[in-house]
Amino acid sequence: MAEVVLHSGGLNPPLVEGPTSFARITDDVCRIVENKPPRAWYVAMGISVTLTLILGVALYLLFTRGIGVWGNNQPVAWAFDITNFVFWIGIGHAGTLISAILFLFRQRWRTSINRAAEAMTIFAVICAGMFPLIHVGRPWRAYWLFPIPNPYIDMWPNFRSPLIWDVFAVSTYFTVSLLFWYTGLIPDLATLRDRARTKLARWAYGLLSLGWRGSARHWSAYEKAYLLLAGLSTPLVISVHSIVSFDFAVSILPGWHATIFPPYFVAGAIFSGFAMVITLLVIARRVYNLQHLITLHHLDNMNKILLATSLIVGYSYAVEFFTAFFSGNPYERFVFTNRAVGPYAWAIWTMVFCNVVVPQLLWFRRFRRSVPWMFVIAILVNIGMWFERFNIIVTSLHRDFLPSSWGSFRPTVVDFMTLAGSFGLFLTLFLLFLRFLPAVAMAEVKAVLPDGRQEVRA
Amino acid sequence: MSGATTSLELSVAATACRLRPEQWQRVRIVLVALALFGWVTSAWGWSQDTQQFHASYLVSFLYVATIGLGATLFVAIQHLTTAAWSVTSRRLMESIMITVLAAPALFIPVIRGLDVLYRWAQPGFFDPDDPNVAFKRVFFSPTFYESRMVVYFVVWCVLAWLLYQGSVGQDRHGGSMAAVVKLRRWSGPGVAALFVTVTSAAVDWVMSLEPYWYSTVFGIYVFAGGAVAFVAAIIILALGLRALGYLREWIHVEHYHDWGKWLFALSVFWAYLAYSQYMLMWYANLPEETAWYQVRLNGSWRWVSLTLAAGHFGVPFLGLMARRAKRSLPWLGAIAGWMLLMHWVDLHWLVMPTVHEHGFHLHWLDLSTWLAVGATAALVGWWVMGRHPLVPAGDLRLAESLEHHNE
Repeated sequence: MAEVVLHSGGLNPPLVEGPTSFARITDDVCRIVENKPPRAWYVAMGISVTLTLILGVALYLLFTRGIGVWGNNQPVAWAFDITNFVFWIGIGHAGTLISAILFLFRQRWRTSINRAAEAMTIFAVICAGMFPLIHVGRPWRAYWLFPIPNPYIDMWPNFRSPLIWDVFAVSTYFTVSLLFWYTGLIPDLATLRDRARTKLARWAYGLLSLGWRGSARHWSAYEKAYLLLAGLSTPLVISVHSIVSFDFAVSILPGWHATIFPPYFVAGAIFSGFAMVITLLVIARRVYNLQHLITLHHLDNMNKILLATSLIVGYSYAVEFFTAFFSGNPYERFVFTNRAVGPYAWAIWTMVFCNVVVPQLLWFRRFRRSVPWMFVIAILVNIGMWFERFNIIVTSLHRDFLPSSWGSFRPTVVDFMTLAGSFGLFLTLFLLFLRFLPAVAMAEVKAVLPDGRQEVRA
Repeated sequence: MSGATTSLELSVAATACRLRPEQWQRVRIVLVALALFGWVTSAWGWSQDTQQFHASYLVSFLYVATIGLGATLFVAIQHLTTAAWSVTSRRLMESIMITVLAAPALFIPVIRGLDVLYRWAQPGFFDPDDPNVAFKRVFFSPTFYESRMVVYFVVWCVLAWLLYQGSVGQDRHGGSMAAVVKLRRWSGPGVAALFVTVTSAAVDWVMSLEPYWYSTVFGIYVFAGGAVAFVAAIIILALGLRALGYLREWIHVEHYHDWGKWLFALSVFWAYLAYSQYMLMWYANLPEETAWYQVRLNGSWRWVSLTLAAGHFGVPFLGLMARRAKRSLPWLGAIAGWMLLMHWVDLHWLVMPTVHEHGFHLHWLDLSTWLAVGATAALVGWWVMGRHPLVPAGDLRLAESLEHHNE
């Protein structure tokens, strides 16, 4: 059998490159947290915090003056707010996909990227969750969304509304993702605790690692919890974005009412999430010298998923366009013609170019393994996926059944400030994560090393 | 085989794993007899009730074609992902896949009866002055329709043939990285082409039975149903061969466990699509969409709809959730057999309300056309199964697949 294994070396490329040992991996990951951060981190943090402050200003303007500071109007009652919401929820899909679904598919290469991707999931869901709250106009009353018996207001949520399903879907997703992320962190937090040089660090990591000692019993409980959470997260990855798609698809608005929306939104979410993971990890692996842990092989695999989801998204665009004409429904036909050649045609074609045309380069190994190329492609996908949501929302709303009630949408400065600010919040949280928590799942990477796998088998 | 330690010994053991000629012969005779019986009775049925024949035949044709296409998708995905676990069962997948080669011939009765079943095929159906059907008039014009059919069958047959040849070629010449890469190269564009053509065929063959109805997810729904049925079919095929004493050491409980996971996951996926379509149409309540469900939720069709929800989703969902269930071969086999029945119920439910608007109506032609088409396709698969080892003997991942276990 040894001969066979040797022979198929090309089929199973090593998941960690270069001379590696368990100690080396611990060192490589822990030093990110233990040493003073590089200058690039401070620069990035400066920019992110500034953007977050801009978000604060935008929110202050919103809360003191009202929704009127945005470009939202009648008929375009949903615009940047819901676009940003769907965009960020989408970004939050890569982490759980990598951690849960790729885990169930036994994709061992996931181990060096899952931690950072899961962190992105949580931060993206935080950004996403903000938008429905602030777009209700009176965020201090957002708790009315929950079915809380209240003698003063005499209101009860409509359980047939997908907007209320969203509240539960997103908060469940956030809770389970957080638990999943934290469960995975525990052994690594214990490692940081054991290596801590200051009292404060020892105390903080000690508190967070819940008394982990790495005993066989601990590992057994840990593995069980991980598998269960993976099983629970898998339907959540699919349900969250399906329910987000219901927000649109249950209506009778042409361009929103399409039965393909649930799977199409899920694929789009994974697409955008992977693009964001690639964008940030390409930088992080370089700044922190993690190229031997997050190898070109990992990036290659992620680019393959990017290509696959790009094709699904492109297929969905095509099917929707086809059905608009096939259906014989004049309103459907109008909306799609209006998308292609109407006032927002530039946004549609930006979307098609970024999401469908450019990712075709990833058919070629050369592009999948070229860091500059994949960085450019991933950025374009991020842009394209933001525009996808913008197109779905704005182009369907601005011209519907009655030409007398048509309108258009122009974003205001506050709209752009909020969008930029949400990126600031996301990046700030991510940079704090890199600074204080182990960015690579050390224990899991060790388990996929040749030595680790032998130990597991023995 | 248990004594095999080197790749050479393993490959030799795999090459020796073949159907015994007399057994192959016996099954072939049975299949020929069933096919003959099916075709003769169906032909007689056609002369008695043309409309019923064409409707029953369409269900049977779809049954066989979707399973073959599900197999093609699976084989391509195994190459695309360089999967190891499935290698020992891949030859069985390929034998199911190769039945796609029979599809063009089996399609002849469908195209001969277009105007019997499809209202759009009747002359003058679309009003030439109605701008809303202008697109459909072109889309369903005979030339365009027939050229689409040619494209579908060419894509499917070429893909199935390439994947098949690439795999059996390794039996003879031994595996190599070059062969692995070549198969992977075909599989990428192959999967993409398969998705487009199969979902488009679902529109042409099934959705257009109701010429004014439309649903964007419909094509994927049909394809997902085919994928479920394919997984059920391969479980039944593997268990059948196991009962005859074949492949016992090659496809063991760890492999069945994974096939069980696929059966579970895909039937949930099918239900997800079915639910998305139903819920969104129910919610929006647009008359042009709900008409399709109106027929299926009234009269005895209502019971078929409920059977489908419970049987195509509830049974595998509850029945295969436990690890122990997926690892019990008799139980897995029972669920797989049930899912093969449910795939037929699904297709029947999609097609038959077109001709039996007022209620579920079982006709003997449903069985005889199924025998005709099914046995003919099975003959094609059985034919090639007799010519090659039952496991891909040259595959580089044979040993890895054999060692596979669920941690």
